[in-house]
Amino acid sequence: MARFLFVVPPLVGHINPTIGVGEELIERGHVVAWYGYKPILENLLDRDLEIVTTESEIPETLIKQVEAQSKGLRGAHALKFFWEDFLSPLAHAMVPGVRSAVEKFKPDVIVADQQCVAGAHVALENGITWATSATTSAELVNPFKLFPKLKSWADDCLMSFQISHGVKKEDANADLLRESPHLVIAYTTLNLVGNEREFDEHFAFVGPSIGRRKPRDSESNEIVFSNNGKKILISLGTVNGEVGERFYKVALDAMETIDAEALLVAPPDLIGNVPRNVIVKRFVSQLDILKHVDAVVTHGGHNTVVESLYYGLPLVVAPIRDDQPVVSDQVVAAKVGVRVKFSRVQPKELKLAIESILHESIYRENAQRIRESFLKAGGKVEAANRLEKLV
Amino acid sequence: MLPLQQLSEKEVLNTVRELIYEVVGEDYAIDLEVEMETSFQDDLELESIEFVTLAERLMDTFGESVDFTSWIANMEVEEIIAMTVGQLVEYISKSLE
Repeated sequence: MARFLFVVPPLVGHINPTIGVGEELIERGHVVAWYGYKPILENLLDRDLEIVTTESEIPETLIKQVEAQSKGLRGAHALKFFWEDFLSPLAHAMVPGVRSAVEKFKPDVIVADQQCVAGAHVALENGITWATSATTSAELVNPFKLFPKLKSWADDCLMSFQISHGVKKEDANADLLRESPHLVIAYTTLNLVGNEREFDEHFAFVGPSIGRRKPRDSESNEIVFSNNGKKILISLGTVNGEVGERFYKVALDAMETIDAEALLVAPPDLIGNVPRNVIVKRFVSQLDILKHVDAVVTHGGHNTVVESLYYGLPLVVAPIRDDQPVVSDQVVAAKVGVRVKFSRVQPKELKLAIESILHESIYRENAQRIRESFLKAGGKVEAANRLEKLV
Repeated sequence: MLPLQQLSEKEVLNTVRELIYEVVGEDYAIDLEVEMETSFQDDLELESIEFVTLAERLMDTFGESVDFTSWIANMEVEEIIAMTVGQLVEYISKSLE
């Protein structure tokens, strides 16, 4: 029996994959706890899962500020914001809490989210073995291809964080914070990631971690489709609702003449009248819905993409920012979907893209192939196997 | 068309404008103003794949000396955010000299 501490950022998509892995470890008799932003953790984790409480919690003001300021940012603005106004302040804010969570919980292994570097930092500080939980594969390949200077700028962000928390200048090492030398868990497979980089044995490509998910109060799980025709899910993820106004309009226009039903996940107050074949919901239990649809239109968030492919579903991707363009490139390269431009796509083009993935069997066949690679990779079971080996 | 070396700044701008319209797509280009002070990030919201395509078109049009990819590779994050069409036009004119 060993003790595992998950250190996670205040991002739903980064917490969800750890839940399945944590539950799998608990079933094997290990003791597991999470440390992160409590309000979000409490919302996502079942009550029987332990959240470590410390006297130093992540301030709500930081979370609210990030939420407010990040709205609508794209491209290099979003990138600058992500590193300077999200990742770095979050890392600073979490160091005291992670230290005290480690003192309280006494983990044998820390599982630190890749974008929540306080976890890796405190593990290093205490000589504790840690694994990196890479909830998007974008950071594992080079996300700065187009602007290579940004790599050293991002490295500087990480190193100045380390130095300000007691690491000697000559010992600061950004790559160590990004990728644990012990184990890096990636919730995808090389079939999707591609082969532009060689990965050592300590990279575990386990495929999506599909866990039991706590239904949110506001979400309804009833299946809403009315007939036996083709069905699609249209979603821009948990944080992009408001920026999607134009895209939603285009999608609704496109749906007017598509012979399929669509479930559009969006804030209903942003949506006016909808065609008869469209249903709008603010929240859905995505994993439940995916079992009932034939295709997915998404912003290319890593979780939505791998969860869709887990069900063998082809995709239309309209990346907005962050890792989404990289993930969307993977979708196109694996020929499991079609990419459109989020801010420019017109109804006619979106309709063609949706009809392609619905009717051209190649996309579904390739998606099925990725699904098989995911099933073979072992998901949360394999992640737990690899974590046990660290003890 | 004139020999590339003799293109005036205005002619370079006109060509760049046409290429940007091609890259973003005709349907969308109708509403898009492309002038010297137009910014790639805030005004054009150029996406990563569009940067790649634009780089290819620029090289096809102006020749190997106009290496957009290498040019932007040296940019810091602030410079990327501030980059304007005018800067690209100046870079092209200089590269063609």
